Amino acid sequence: MTTPANDDETPGAADAPPPDRPGHADGPDGGRGDDGDDGRGTGNGNGHGSDEELHGLLAEFETPGALIAAARKVRNAGHTEFDCYSPFPVHGIDPAMGIKATRLPIVVFLGGLTGLVLGTLMQWWMNAYDWPWNVAGKPTWSIPANVPISYETTILLSVLTTFFGMWAANKLPQVWHPFFRLDRFARVTDDGFFLGVEAGDKRFDLEQTRQLLVAAGATHIEECYVDARPEARTMPRWIMAAMAVLTMVALIPVALVFKARATKSPDPHWHVFSDMDYQPKLKSDQPFADFADGRANRGELPGTVARGQLKADDAYYRGIAGGQWLTGLPAQVEVSEATLARGKQRYDIYCAPCHGFDGAGMGIVPARVEALGGAWPARNLVERGSAVITMPNGQLYNTISNGYNTMMGYASQMPVADRWAVVLYVRALQRSQNAAESELPAGSQVR
Amino acid sequence: MSATKSIHPDEKYKADKMGGRLFKVGLAAGAALLIISVILGATKGDHWRRFLYAYVVGWSFVFSIALGSLFFIISHHLTRAKWGIVLRRLAEFMAGTLPFLFVLGLVFVLPVLFGNKHLYFWTHDGLHDPKHPLWHHMHHKFGWLDPAFFAGRYVLYMAVYIGLARYFAKKSAEMDTAPDAAAAAAIADRLRVVAGPATVAFGFVTLFSITDLFMTLSPTWYSTIYSVNYFAGAMLATYCTLALLARVIQQNGKLVHSVTVEHYHDIGKYMFGWTFFWIYTAFSQFMLQWYGNIPEETIFYSYRMFSDWQYVSLALLVGQWAFPYLCLLSRWTKRILPLLMFFAAWQLVFHWVDLYWNVMPNAQWTMETTAHGVFNMGPLAGDPAKHTIGFHFLDITVWLALVGLFLAAVGKAMKGNLIPVKDPKLGECLAFENY
Amino acid sequence: MASPSEAAAGSDGEAQAVFRGITDDVSRVALNPTPKWWWPAFGVSNLMLLCLVVSLYHLFTTGIGVWGNNNIQGWAWDITNFVFWIGIGHAGTLISAVLYLFRQDWRTSINRSAEAMTIFAVAAAGIFPIIHTGRPWFAWWMIPHPNDMGMWPQFRSPLMWDVFAISTYATTSILFWYMGMVPDLATLRDRAKERWKQVGYGLLALGWRGSARQWHRYERAYLILAALSTPLVLSVHSVVSFDFATSQNPGWHTTIFPPYFVAGAIFSGFAMVATLLVPLRHLCGLKHIIKESHIEAMCKIMIATGLMVGGAYGIEIFIAWYSGNAGEWFTFRNRVLGEYSWAYFAMVSCNVLVPQFFWIRKCRTNPWIVVGLCILINVGMWFERFVIIATSLARQAMPGMWGYFSPTRWDVLTFIGSFGLFFTLFLLFARFLPVIAMAEVKAVSPEAHAGKDHH
Repeated sequence: MTTPANDDETPGAADAPPPDRPGHADGPDGGRGDDGDDGRGTGNGNGHGSDEELHGLLAEFETPGALIAAARKVRNAGHTEFDCYSPFPVHGIDPAMGIKATRLPIVVFLGGLTGLVLGTLMQWWMNAYDWPWNVAGKPTWSIPANVPISYETTILLSVLTTFFGMWAANKLPQVWHPFFRLDRFARVTDDGFFLGVEAGDKRFDLEQTRQLLVAAGATHIEECYVDARPEARTMPRWIMAAMAVLTMVALIPVALVFKARATKSPDPHWHVFSDMDYQPKLKSDQPFADFADGRANRGELPGTVARGQLKADDAYYRGIAGGQWLTGLPAQVEVSEATLARGKQRYDIYCAPCHGFDGAGMGIVPARVEALGGAWPARNLVERGSAVITMPNGQLYNTISNGYNTMMGYASQMPVADRWAVVLYVRALQRSQNAAESELPAGSQVR
Repeated sequence: MSATKSIHPDEKYKADKMGGRLFKVGLAAGAALLIISVILGATKGDHWRRFLYAYVVGWSFVFSIALGSLFFIISHHLTRAKWGIVLRRLAEFMAGTLPFLFVLGLVFVLPVLFGNKHLYFWTHDGLHDPKHPLWHHMHHKFGWLDPAFFAGRYVLYMAVYIGLARYFAKKSAEMDTAPDAAAAAAIADRLRVVAGPATVAFGFVTLFSITDLFMTLSPTWYSTIYSVNYFAGAMLATYCTLALLARVIQQNGKLVHSVTVEHYHDIGKYMFGWTFFWIYTAFSQFMLQWYGNIPEETIFYSYRMFSDWQYVSLALLVGQWAFPYLCLLSRWTKRILPLLMFFAAWQLVFHWVDLYWNVMPNAQWTMETTAHGVFNMGPLAGDPAKHTIGFHFLDITVWLALVGLFLAAVGKAMKGNLIPVKDPKLGECLAFENY
Repeated sequence: MASPSEAAAGSDGEAQAVFRGITDDVSRVALNPTPKWWWPAFGVSNLMLLCLVVSLYHLFTTGIGVWGNNNIQGWAWDITNFVFWIGIGHAGTLISAVLYLFRQDWRTSINRSAEAMTIFAVAAAGIFPIIHTGRPWFAWWMIPHPNDMGMWPQFRSPLMWDVFAISTYATTSILFWYMGMVPDLATLRDRAKERWKQVGYGLLALGWRGSARQWHRYERAYLILAALSTPLVLSVHSVVSFDFATSQNPGWHTTIFPPYFVAGAIFSGFAMVATLLVPLRHLCGLKHIIKESHIEAMCKIMIATGLMVGGAYGIEIFIAWYSGNAGEWFTFRNRVLGEYSWAYFAMVSCNVLVPQFFWIRKCRTNPWIVVGLCILINVGMWFERFVIIATSLARQAMPGMWGYFSPTRWDVLTFIGSFGLFFTLFLLFARFLPVIAMAEVKAVSPEAHAGKDHH
């Protein structure tokens, strides 16, 4: 294990100050003399040629306390273009330098407010306005359920404002700064406390300012020079070129998306994931060349009956007995309150819309057609002496199953037992609406 | 910050006669208002029902402050917090009212024990009959909601609170008379060690005591976060009261150098923090029950959302959360003392509204079987004309009477030094600065 | 005014030596040659990461059926792992933000690595909700964007709240972590020897030069981010708890869930921080910065949060009984006494009983015991989520919705793989980035006030 800073083998940095700091009594006056030794010999150290101009003075202090005191002195001397540099925030330096409280909190508050409004509006517009979508009967605009997302967008925008606002206000990133030319300044991220006065300051005077810093207790003072030529301070051409190329490359996917959205194509989608769109199976009406008839559907094999599909009982399944319509009821049908109730329920669903709840043929469909000036008569099922009353049960069952004239068959909607239940109920309707007074239960009134 | 300061030489930190004065003023006001309330309650002709409900609201208000103060003390010892040491004694005085609050609480606990049926619905006649419509909701917990067992639990809960409050106050007072710094430090260390188990005891007792005392007012409703929500309100009220009490003491010429704007700033931060935590728990409870839409749970909110109570609900949302929350965001609201005092008083009033809103609708609990045989229960049942807040002047007088009596008890407890003068960290607290 | 440097020359030099010591010790970890222990650790982590890659490949090409999930146990290890990781991801922000607001200076030694851990845990967590959707390649449908289907996300669903909460949390954590790291990256930039490191760290450090005017705004921004992260961290796990609690499913629908989940998250997060940092401080020689007292403080927080979680277990059962809701009571009885009782008791013993050992000083100071107990706590917290999810789904309202979950090898591999991702990222962090917030440690050290002649 080595401690890089202390026993550094790099030539030139051998007498970098840290280890022998207390004994290293380079007074302020000796500061300049040290400069050459401190350079790393890279050529652009602290020595300066005629094409270099003074950026400012950099003074070093040993403690945070000394830095605060010096900052106060420099400020009291009327300097404005100066700054302190330290490895960590030194508490008490803000009033000493006269730094005004940043307005960042207000900006962040506004950012958060924007997030709140935008997040709320987004939810309202998307879920309640543009595409009102009923979910579980809840209102499309139901604030309690919208609170969490508004809350998150508020925080997100506040955070983004804080983060980017802080860097922007600090004018960072700025990877280059004149003081970075001074090797000693590398200690600002380690253990060094610096105060830099810029040459652009109104009251800057090389000697006077130096004296001021000496009086403020600086342990080391250096002049900082920058290249006077403006072109030397611009960003290298290759970096600009690289950035331009990268930007162009980054725009390619975006351009592709826009192109895709602006053009029409008959080609199918790209299927990166097939999403079960293509499955190794055949549907009943698809062609399939490997079968002789070219169809995927195999149909029923002759001479076979599917399980549960025999339906040999003519009376029950077809309402026929001995070649005639069945007049009684099949053995499977039980005449009971329950069957009748079932029949009524089915009748009210499937039959009543045309035949009416009372069976007289004026359900809501004919009634509406009549109201609109047309005619769509449905058979009166209960008319005294009509064919429906006299027809055998089997024929009635057959009519329900397979339909009659314009009436469709209901075999696909109602199972066999239900159709028989409807037969029973129609019989009950007929009976009840054609009943003689003598047939009424005792105590009933005839109105 | 390890900077320290010693107590300012001109500082007046002895309670002297101030406690006595507070006691007298509080007692006079409290007693007078209580007499008025009793008269109002007696003339209302509802078997003291309204009076008891108003009393529970007022009691829960002062109880929350004492409870919060107790937690303030314990948590400060536990975390070795330094900023609040100058306020600790004040919290100890407030927590010292717990024995007195125990006696005041008997005013509604004893009637329950002796067969009053008007406060807690679970004492209702006929509930034990299996034919009663609520029987299937309630029968399994008759053992728990038994008047004698309930009163017993009340005594147990209060015994734990009082024991903790007395222990911490006693040891803290001992610190003042400690012969040397080492002895004081030993006491401080001891208190820190005890604070651990004390927090555990406090937490578990509070989970159940609040459920028992206040949640069972609504007989079939339940919420697991209920006591956490009450605790949040209690802490908020405690910080508000601490700010006001410290300011009143300062205006009487004491502690003027010890309690600085930095301490108020921190109180303000906690007010802000607990306001947030309060709305967080309140919203969690509301949102989950609203979203879940289960009748047993929504009964609590349906009444507070669809009767006249909806205006109280909205007022609470704005008054207890939105308005103070936005204002307390700013550093300056917390540092300009008149503003901070305004918000402390404001939040205390709305803390009462919060408790009123929690408790009072239960006073309108009714049950009826409609003509169609449909059974209606809860505050929304019955005549829609009765779906009002039913505000009575009594609600306010009882509250203020109990606040007066609470202050009298604080005055009674206010003896000796107003700050723990020998606390080993007092110096750091006095030099405390926000950065 | 006397020059302070003259007034206390000796102690001033000591102050600088202290700062330099901190810089040396921390930047050494990133700048020195790779230590011997790192490669085996990285290798093992990469093998585990490979498990994730393989199991995800199998999952994507085959489907959710490779897991043990079924119609009844529609959520199982996938969401358990999600909540487990996202819970661990809470300690970082808690340490950086909440402890900062409470002025707990000891946090500076652990906050950087805890924040890093947060981000990696969120990354591990983020995988699961995406892959559990069955067709993860449509996960981007959850981001509101104009599309040819004319559809918008359904913002009233807690699952959408999750999308917003987790992505906001991930963004905030990364920005907070990075912002805190910039001054330390500048330190590495100034100390790196190799040119590529200088350029790399230099670009990341954005040209930070420690100017007082910049520090002023930086500190303010840091405080604001801390103040924003605190309610955020509260909301994230609350929203995760809403995923369960907004339903009517007994065992899920209870109002204590939000704070209870947050307490559990802090609990598991601290356990994971301690699990990682106790070995790290030994391996990287940082014992004098991450002090024993800091580990002790974390143990104490674990006692507190463990008891909060225990209190929630208690009140949940009590209210399940008190409510008179037959479904609730049945679910809880089944949770404790039914087929999954082994999981329930694993959870209770690891989460409520294990942290009680931390009352004993010896258990807080012995690194082996601390790591052992913390691993048990993490096991317990995984079981907590498993118990909540599996037992509540195993016995729903109708007996036709009863079942039992058995994991397949792919469940196990995916879970191991998520650890691989987490450890790989953490090892990379521990190797290349400043593991300790140097500037913050310096700022809270007593030497930071050296030379101040009045205060």
